[in-house]
Amino acid sequence: MRPSSSQATGISPETFVYAARDFIELSDKYMDSWTIYQNDNEILSTHLKREEFISHRDQRGKVFLYRAEYVIFYNLSYGVPSFSFNVWDCTGKLLTLEQVRDISLMKTRKEDFFSVVTQQEHPVLYKPYFIIHPCHTAELLSMFRKTSKNLIITFLSLITPLIQLNLPLEYGLL
Amino acid sequence: MANDREVLREIWDGKLPICFQLAQEEIMEIQQPDPFYVMVPRLSYFPLVTDKMKRHFLRYISQENADNEMWLDYNGQPLKWHYPIGFLYDLFCGNDPQLPWTLTVHFTKFPETILLRCPNKDVVEAHYMSTVKEADVLKHRGQVMSTMQKKDHNQLWLGLQNDKFDQFWAINRRLMESHGDNEGFKHIPMRIYSDDGITCQRLICPKNNDGSRKTVHQLLSELYPDKAEVNLRTHGVLIPLDTPLQWLSEHMSYPDNFLHICLC
Repeated sequence: MRPSSSQATGISPETFVYAARDFIELSDKYMDSWTIYQNDNEILSTHLKREEFISHRDQRGKVFLYRAEYVIFYNLSYGVPSFSFNVWDCTGKLLTLEQVRDISLMKTRKEDFFSVVTQQEHPVLYKPYFIIHPCHTAELLSMFRKTSKNLIITFLSLITPLIQLNLPLEYGLL
Repeated sequence: MANDREVLREIWDGKLPICFQLAQEEIMEIQQPDPFYVMVPRLSYFPLVTDKMKRHFLRYISQENADNEMWLDYNGQPLKWHYPIGFLYDLFCGNDPQLPWTLTVHFTKFPETILLRCPNKDVVEAHYMSTVKEADVLKHRGQVMSTMQKKDHNQLWLGLQNDKFDQFWAINRRLMESHGDNEGFKHIPMRIYSDDGITCQRLICPKNNDGSRKTVHQLLSELYPDKAEVNLRTHGVLIPLDTPLQWLSEHMSYPDNFLHICLC
């Protein structure tokens, strides 16, 4: 990253919360299933969550079912929204990063994959989650700042090339 | 700049005696294994100092568990390997020192809802580097790390891993410089932990609104206006309340460039 590009300024926690509330109205309207978690005493803990079941067919044609949880939260150090997730198999066991890659939830080459996502202690939920690195988010978001109608939707559109997320096409009408 | 070299050296040389014991239910041999004693740097991470200990206990456990990921607990509480050893000791034993620190070693029932997976040392390195990067974003908008070369990043990590003070500080000093006209960082990379498991991270400026240097006392009255008696501990010592935050960050940060501080 060049020094000049890293100077893209992030957003404030208030801006994030405002966009998150706006996004939830849209999610409800288009029958998407995101929910918002807010704590009046702690603005930094505001996050959006979506849970769903995903299936994967292995090379022999056998189908496996998984439960996935996606969490969007505010990354204080970088001043940007961040994307995190966990996936469990049908016995309730957490998938490892290798296994997440094997079920094609994420679409990247192996070398790239491990440089864009790592398991970390979640800064809001205090448990292990896979977190997509936020280091380029600020500059990417700032490129769309003038045209973006909702910051969270713009952010999700940056994530979807990496992770298999089914989003209602109506978000694109904005 | 971090100028008080004696302080940096003293903190770097901090060590803890540890007594590792294999969990009773893991022992598969009639003969009980001896506990394993070792002196470890406070600034290091458990996966970097436990290879020998692991080999010592492997022959006493069921061989089907030999390839499992090893993990540690203190008094039934799993130890998070991604925090520096000295910080974990201060968190659990700061108020009630016990030396050597007796820890229990496990090869089964990995607590995956609490601990991060650590299949190898590359994972420790990746975690360390991303924390340094985050600290630099707070201090200098990430400009120092992004202008460093890959070999500088490696030198930081190798300095820490091999316990080489000069090698580490030759690079780390650049991360401790103030930029522009400002005497001080943009924000202080700092996490304050209470024993209920809650971490407090805020955007903390090293200066007050009038431009004077902010002290620990001033920070505490901002963060905990309702608490009368609050103390902070790091590297085994209580921090004097009149310490300026900028000095604290330059001298008492862990090698990951964050201040990891226990509320007590």
